[in-house]
Amino acid sequence: MIAPTDFHLSHFQAMTLFALLISIAFGFLSRRRTSERVKYIIWSLFLFLLIGVGIGWAMFPFSR
Amino acid sequence: MPDDTVTEATTAAAAIAVPPEHHARNEIFAFAIGVAGWLVPGLGHALQKMWGRALGCFLTVGALVFLGVAMRGNLFSSEGGDAFGMLGYVADLGTGSFYFAARALETQGSDVAHAEGDYGTRFLAAAGVLNLLAALHAYEAARGRKA
Repeated sequence: MIAPTDFHLSHFQAMTLFALLISIAFGFLSRRRTSERVKYIIWSLFLFLLIGVGIGWAMFPFSR
Repeated sequence: MPDDTVTEATTAAAAIAVPPEHHARNEIFAFAIGVAGWLVPGLGHALQKMWGRALGCFLTVGALVFLGVAMRGNLFSSEGGDAFGMLGYVADLGTGSFYFAARALETQGSDVAHAEGDYGTRFLAAAGVLNLLAALHAYEAARGRKA
Protein backbone atom coordinates (compact mmCIF):
# COMPACT_ATOMS: atom_id res chain seq x y z
CA MET A 1 0.00 0.00 0.00
CA ILE A 2 1.23 3.50 -0.83
CA ALA A 3 1.69 5.49 2.35
CA PRO A 4 2.37 9.15 1.59
CA THR A 5 4.88 10.18 4.23
CA ASP A 6 7.66 12.74 4.63
CA PHE A 7 5.70 15.48 2.95
CA HIS A 8 6.85 18.86 4.20
CA LEU A 9 5.42 22.23 3.22
CA SER A 10 5.91 25.72 4.58
CA HIS A 11 2.91 27.71 5.80
CA PHE A 12 2.83 29.73 2.59
CA GLN A 13 3.14 26.66 0.36
CA ALA A 14 0.31 24.91 2.22
CA MET A 15 -1.90 27.99 1.98
CA THR A 16 -1.15 28.43 -1.74
CA LEU A 17 -1.86 24.78 -2.49
CA PHE A 18 -5.10 24.93 -0.55
CA ALA A 19 -6.15 28.16 -2.28
CA LEU A 20 -5.30 26.74 -5.71
CA LEU A 21 -7.30 23.53 -5.24
CA ILE A 22 -10.34 25.29 -3.81
CA SER A 23 -10.21 27.93 -6.56
CA ILE A 24 -10.09 25.23 -9.25
CA ALA A 25 -13.06 23.42 -7.71
CA PHE A 26 -15.10 26.63 -7.42
CA GLY A 27 -14.16 27.63 -10.96
CA PHE A 28 -15.33 24.30 -12.40
CA LEU A 29 -18.56 24.31 -10.40
CA SER A 30 -19.62 27.88 -10.96
CA ARG A 31 -18.59 28.58 -14.56
CA ARG A 32 -19.31 26.75 -17.82
CA ARG A 33 -16.93 28.13 -20.41
CA THR A 34 -13.21 27.42 -20.18
CA SER A 35 -12.17 31.07 -20.53
CA GLU A 36 -14.58 32.08 -17.74
CA ARG A 37 -13.29 29.27 -15.56
CA VAL A 38 -9.67 30.32 -16.02
CA LYS A 39 -10.51 33.94 -15.20
CA TYR A 40 -12.48 32.89 -12.12
CA ILE A 41 -9.71 30.57 -10.90
CA ILE A 42 -7.00 33.22 -11.27
CA TRP A 43 -9.12 35.91 -9.60
CA SER A 44 -10.19 33.61 -6.75
CA LEU A 45 -6.61 32.42 -6.16
CA PHE A 46 -5.37 36.01 -6.09
CA LEU A 47 -8.03 37.00 -3.54
CA PHE A 48 -7.36 33.92 -1.40
CA LEU A 49 -3.65 34.79 -1.24
CA LEU A 50 -4.21 38.51 -0.75
CA ILE A 51 -6.66 38.01 2.12
CA GLY A 52 -4.58 35.19 3.64
CA VAL A 53 -1.39 37.22 3.66
CA GLY A 54 -3.35 40.29 4.78
CA ILE A 55 -4.81 38.49 7.79
CA GLY A 56 -1.39 37.02 8.61
CA TRP A 57 0.16 40.48 8.42
CA ALA A 58 -2.61 41.97 10.61
CA MET A 59 -2.06 39.25 13.25
CA PHE A 60 1.71 39.68 13.33
CA PRO A 61 1.78 42.30 16.16
CA PHE A 62 -0.16 39.89 18.42
CA SER A 63 2.14 36.93 17.79
CA ARG A 64 4.86 38.12 20.17
CA MET B 1 -49.32 40.84 -24.19
CA PRO B 2 -45.59 41.09 -23.28
CA ASP B 3 -43.33 38.10 -24.11
CA ASP B 4 -42.36 37.45 -20.48
CA THR B 5 -45.97 36.95 -19.48
CA VAL B 6 -46.50 34.53 -22.35
CA THR B 7 -43.41 32.51 -21.30
CA GLU B 8 -44.49 32.41 -17.65
CA ALA B 9 -47.99 31.32 -18.62
CA THR B 10 -46.59 28.59 -20.90
CA THR B 11 -44.20 27.32 -18.16
CA ALA B 12 -47.01 27.28 -15.59
CA ALA B 13 -49.27 25.38 -17.98
CA ALA B 14 -46.50 22.87 -18.69
CA ALA B 15 -45.90 22.38 -14.94
CA ILE B 16 -49.59 21.65 -14.45
CA ALA B 17 -49.65 19.27 -17.41
CA VAL B 18 -46.80 17.07 -16.01
CA PRO B 19 -48.23 14.16 -14.03
CA PRO B 20 -47.26 13.99 -10.32
CA GLU B 21 -45.64 10.54 -10.66
CA HIS B 22 -43.25 12.03 -13.21
CA HIS B 23 -42.25 14.71 -10.67
CA ALA B 24 -41.69 12.03 -8.00
CA ARG B 25 -39.56 9.97 -10.40
CA ASN B 26 -37.47 13.02 -11.27
CA GLU B 27 -37.01 13.79 -7.58
CA ILE B 28 -35.84 10.23 -6.86
CA PHE B 29 -33.46 10.37 -9.82
CA ALA B 30 -32.04 13.70 -8.62
CA PHE B 31 -31.60 12.31 -5.11
CA ALA B 32 -29.77 9.26 -6.49
CA ILE B 33 -27.50 11.57 -8.47
CA GLY B 34 -26.73 13.54 -5.29
CA VAL B 35 -25.93 10.37 -3.32
CA ALA B 36 -23.72 9.08 -6.18
CA GLY B 37 -21.88 12.42 -6.20
CA TRP B 38 -21.32 12.15 -2.47
CA LEU B 39 -20.10 8.52 -2.58
CA VAL B 40 -17.65 9.07 -5.43
CA PRO B 41 -16.58 12.69 -5.98
CA GLY B 42 -17.59 13.78 -9.49
CA LEU B 43 -19.84 10.80 -10.20
CA GLY B 44 -23.01 12.88 -9.86
CA HIS B 45 -21.82 15.17 -12.64
CA ALA B 46 -20.39 12.30 -14.73
CA LEU B 47 -23.80 10.59 -14.77
CA GLN B 48 -25.21 13.79 -16.29
CA LYS B 49 -22.39 13.94 -18.84
CA MET B 50 -20.86 17.05 -17.26
CA TRP B 51 -17.37 15.68 -17.83
CA GLY B 52 -15.36 18.81 -17.01
CA ARG B 53 -17.07 19.31 -13.68
CA ALA B 54 -16.83 15.60 -12.87
CA LEU B 55 -13.10 15.56 -13.53
CA GLY B 56 -12.59 18.85 -11.66
CA CYS B 57 -14.43 17.57 -8.57
CA PHE B 58 -12.72 14.19 -8.60
CA LEU B 59 -9.23 15.62 -8.95
CA THR B 60 -9.54 18.51 -6.49
CA VAL B 61 -11.26 16.46 -3.76
CA GLY B 62 -8.82 13.59 -4.37
CA ALA B 63 -5.81 15.91 -4.19
CA LEU B 64 -7.07 17.54 -0.98
CA VAL B 65 -7.59 14.13 0.66
CA PHE B 66 -4.21 12.81 -0.51
CA LEU B 67 -2.36 15.93 0.66
CA GLY B 68 -4.27 15.95 3.95
CA VAL B 69 -3.20 12.38 4.61
CA ALA B 70 0.36 13.09 3.45
CA MET B 71 0.56 15.95 5.95
CA ARG B 72 -0.74 13.57 8.61
CA GLY B 73 -3.92 15.49 9.30
CA ASN B 74 -6.45 14.30 11.85
CA LEU B 75 -9.10 12.08 10.30
CA PHE B 76 -12.02 12.15 12.74
CA SER B 77 -13.92 9.02 13.65
CA SER B 78 -17.45 8.52 15.01
CA GLU B 79 -15.95 8.05 18.48
CA GLY B 80 -14.86 11.68 18.63
CA GLY B 81 -16.84 12.39 21.79
CA ASP B 82 -17.29 16.16 21.80
CA ALA B 83 -19.31 18.32 19.40
CA PHE B 84 -16.25 19.51 17.48
CA GLY B 85 -15.11 15.94 16.96
CA MET B 86 -18.53 15.02 15.61
CA LEU B 87 -18.54 18.10 13.36
CA GLY B 88 -15.10 17.10 12.06
CA TYR B 89 -16.36 13.57 11.46
CA VAL B 90 -19.31 14.85 9.41
CA ALA B 91 -16.98 17.07 7.39
CA ASP B 92 -14.51 14.22 6.79
CA LEU B 93 -17.31 11.83 5.88
CA GLY B 94 -18.35 14.32 3.19
CA THR B 95 -15.64 12.84 0.96
CA GLY B 96 -17.70 9.63 0.71
CA SER B 97 -15.62 6.65 -0.32
CA PHE B 98 -12.45 8.73 -0.12
CA TYR B 99 -12.88 8.80 3.67
CA PHE B 100 -12.21 5.07 3.80
CA ALA B 101 -9.34 5.40 1.33
CA ALA B 102 -7.82 8.05 3.59
CA ARG B 103 -8.25 5.76 6.59
CA ALA B 104 -6.41 3.02 4.73
CA LEU B 105 -3.64 5.39 3.62
CA GLU B 106 -3.06 7.01 7.01
CA THR B 107 -1.27 4.05 8.53
CA GLN B 108 0.92 6.13 10.86
CA GLY B 109 -1.95 8.07 12.38
CA SER B 110 -2.27 11.84 12.66
CA ASP B 111 0.39 14.25 13.91
CA VAL B 112 -1.20 17.57 14.82
CA ALA B 113 1.70 18.56 17.06
CA HIS B 114 3.21 20.18 13.96
CA ALA B 115 1.71 22.86 11.73
CA GLU B 116 1.62 20.44 8.77
CA GLY B 117 -0.67 18.07 10.61
CA ASP B 118 -2.94 20.96 11.48
CA TYR B 119 -3.03 22.02 7.82
CA GLY B 120 -3.69 18.40 6.88
CA THR B 121 -6.75 18.35 9.14
CA ARG B 122 -8.09 21.44 7.34
CA PHE B 123 -7.37 19.89 3.93
CA LEU B 124 -9.36 16.78 4.84
CA ALA B 125 -12.31 18.74 6.23
CA ALA B 126 -12.30 21.12 3.24
CA ALA B 127 -12.31 18.14 0.86
CA GLY B 128 -15.43 16.79 2.58
CA VAL B 129 -17.30 20.08 2.56
CA LEU B 130 -16.30 20.72 -1.05
CA ASN B 131 -17.59 17.32 -2.08
CA LEU B 132 -20.88 17.92 -0.31
CA LEU B 133 -21.18 21.21 -2.22
CA ALA B 134 -20.44 19.41 -5.49
CA ALA B 135 -23.01 16.69 -4.69
CA LEU B 136 -25.61 19.37 -3.95
CA HIS B 137 -24.73 21.07 -7.24
CA ALA B 138 -25.21 17.78 -9.11
CA TYR B 139 -28.54 17.25 -7.33
CA GLU B 140 -29.76 20.70 -8.32
CA ALA B 141 -28.63 20.16 -11.92
CA ALA B 142 -30.53 16.85 -12.03
CA ARG B 143 -33.66 18.64 -10.82
CA GLY B 144 -33.37 20.93 -13.80
CA ARG B 145 -32.14 24.02 -12.03
CA LYS B 146 -29.65 26.18 -13.93
CA ALA B 147 -26.15 24.84 -13.23
